[in-house]
Amino acid sequence: MISDMFSLLAVRSSWFGELLAQHIAISFLSIALAGIIGLSLGIAIAAWRRGARPVLALVNFVYTIPSIALFGFLIPVTGVGNVTAVVALTVYALLPMVRNTYTGIVNIDPRVIEAARGMGATERQLLYRVELPLAAPVIMSGIRNMATMTIALAGIASFIGAGGLGVAIYRGITTNNLAMTLAGSVLIAVLAIVVDALLGLVEKRLRRPFAAAEKARGPRRQRTGGAQGRGTHETPSRRVRSWSRRGVVVVGAIAVVVAFAAGAAALVRGGSLRPEGERLPGGNAGDGPNSGALSKGDGSAGTIQVATKPMTEQYILGEMLKTLVEHDTDLAVELTQGVGGGVANIQPALMKGDFDLYPEYTGTGWNEVLKHDDTYDESRFDELRSQYEDDLELTWLGMYGFNNTYGLAVSSDVAERFDLSTYSDLAQVADQLRLGAEPDFFDRQDGYPGLSQAYGMSFGTTMDMDIGLKYQALFGGQVDAIVVFTTDGQLAEDGIVVLKDDRGFYPSYLCGNVVRLDTLEAHPELRTELEKLEGLISDDDMARMNHAVESEGREPKDVADEFLAERGLL
Amino acid sequence: MSATAIRSETAIRFDQVSKGFGETMALDDVSLDVPRGAFVTVIGSSGCGKTTLLKTVNALVVPDEGHVLVNGRDTAEADPIELRRSIGYAIQGSVLFPHLTVERNIAFVPSLLNKKDTRRTADAVDKWMEIVGLPASLKDRYPSELSGGQEQRVGIARALAASPDILLMDEPFSAVDEITRATLQDEIRAVHERTGITVLFVTHDIDEALDLGDAVLVMESGHAVQYAPPHEVLAHPATPFVEHLVTRKQRVYARA
Repeated sequence: MISDMFSLLAVRSSWFGELLAQHIAISFLSIALAGIIGLSLGIAIAAWRRGARPVLALVNFVYTIPSIALFGFLIPVTGVGNVTAVVALTVYALLPMVRNTYTGIVNIDPRVIEAARGMGATERQLLYRVELPLAAPVIMSGIRNMATMTIALAGIASFIGAGGLGVAIYRGITTNNLAMTLAGSVLIAVLAIVVDALLGLVEKRLRRPFAAAEKARGPRRQRTGGAQGRGTHETPSRRVRSWSRRGVVVVGAIAVVVAFAAGAAALVRGGSLRPEGERLPGGNAGDGPNSGALSKGDGSAGTIQVATKPMTEQYILGEMLKTLVEHDTDLAVELTQGVGGGVANIQPALMKGDFDLYPEYTGTGWNEVLKHDDTYDESRFDELRSQYEDDLELTWLGMYGFNNTYGLAVSSDVAERFDLSTYSDLAQVADQLRLGAEPDFFDRQDGYPGLSQAYGMSFGTTMDMDIGLKYQALFGGQVDAIVVFTTDGQLAEDGIVVLKDDRGFYPSYLCGNVVRLDTLEAHPELRTELEKLEGLISDDDMARMNHAVESEGREPKDVADEFLAERGLL
Repeated sequence: MSATAIRSETAIRFDQVSKGFGETMALDDVSLDVPRGAFVTVIGSSGCGKTTLLKTVNALVVPDEGHVLVNGRDTAEADPIELRRSIGYAIQGSVLFPHLTVERNIAFVPSLLNKKDTRRTADAVDKWMEIVGLPASLKDRYPSELSGGQEQRVGIARALAASPDILLMDEPFSAVDEITRATLQDEIRAVHERTGITVLFVTHDIDEALDLGDAVLVMESGHAVQYAPPHEVLAHPATPFVEHLVTRKQRVYARA
């Protein structure tokens, strides 16, 4: 795994380099903004104490808003991309900045302040010559905390279409490429540690005047490190300990980002198929260095902005669209891959004109975009499309042919033993079988309860399991049946059989492209290209391509191009 | 008594000054003149208003009633910043700026005044370090690297660095040991004699008050109860409180 990571870093060094540069740009800009705003606010409330309580309460409150929710609030205002990321990161970084500035100033010995005032310092001189320098070590440790935190948190920023190393993490998770996730995490950790060490040097300098006093007070635990006396030598063991402590903090922060990414991936992966729109925004990864740069290109032939959801198959579809359109026309395609929150965040951006098109699923469009409560089936496709065209000035074009819906799959042993091919078959023997599914499947009306009702299906045992583990459980024989998505890459493997939903219980989720009508008008050649995709990909094709990316570690672009070539489209 | 005390020109005049903090009167109708060049010590128990009195001089405290005139000018009308820069101020435990070196601590007021003229500031620092008996080698030290006595000296040098003609001292030597204190008392007396500066010196130590002052102001609950040369205070204590302080002192002398 580690060597995979290093070879990946070597092979794609320029890509990682660009992500690192973006990461630095986003996090440093946020740090600088939070530094300036936080310092000013801290100074203001230290001077005007009555404002301290409400201001601190406010920044404290903002700090406790889960980042995923904060992104959700910001997206309607600032859209997806770097701006939102910088705003969110700045807002988070404010707390340590304001609090430390305030604390640093307020905790100065009041006699020192009075001495300065009594000697004729103006308020300004008092601030710049006495208060700020004296508060500097505390402020600096605030900056240090904030910088480390922001660099780590900037990993999450990519979930809303911003660039940075989070792109690698999230992409690695969505496409089951652990080396890529690890590489992104390690680079963030290294960046955080380096920045922290540099700031630590500054802090140590700032603490120099106080060093002798602290030394005199004897060794004591320093929350923020630094503060070694002049001429005293830190023993190596202490240095190691303080380093390892910082290391633990940074690694912990990265772990949180990765866990978050994994959670969001699962959420969006599952959520993109769900009828009700209660899914939280968040989760994503842009693709290349240009992700997050949502500016419209102004090339002479025009640029088509394509967005995708954070799912392996959408990464592949995105690449397919780019290759095909750029191959056949003079149009350029700019991809924003894996926009966090999927439709919840893509749809507003599409309406605004930030994006021109994205691959969507009919059932999702019906329930989440058009907000219908009933179950969608393909007999209503014309209705779906005309509502899109009339109400949203969008249309559906180039239906790929595959249906990514819920499905029930059993191991081929079980299928053979009980002679299973449909859900109805399964219902007959369900009481002897064990079903594994994500926890929420058992609660959702369109999950287990609905299924039980529709087919009279009642399993002998049901087991809650993580989305990533259920296939292992099935192949390992711990469960007999699992809930799947019908294009899951693992379905391409031997030993698993997807059963037929013979009573049509699940809504249909055919995949097609949602496109802005004005884009089609401006670029009629795009219509021709999208029509070439009509019926091109079956469920099996899609599962196979997902498998190629997720299990064989191939690049989405290569898989997409190969498929197009196979079908004679290149 | 020193010759300066009889000079009639007034450096500081308190004219019916009152100041209350909530219910308590820190200063209650205080009227007195401090002649130019005098060394006035202010004695009283804590909370008697002596520090408040001191702070009305450099406008850190604004009287509720009455006027404080510094060099004939009402402090209420003066620019407080300018006023403070013209008055030396040394407070309890010296309170140096911990983030500044000795040199920059001493240069604090001059640097507030003449930002450009670093040469003059440097000269002032050298001069005052020498006067208060600080070796030049301490210039680059930080306060945390000084002994208690050195800190007090820096505090005095800092108060004097802009060559003020009035020096306010609020229990400046309360935080040092007896021996150091005696030395510092000698230093400040020497400075006073050498410069002819007017000193208002708050202390709660009767020995210090009687030894240093050419006039002693005794304060009790905001009132100026006695304002007289030390021998007068010793001979005719104006109140039981002063008497109590003085008797103790007399007992000490008797034992000696």
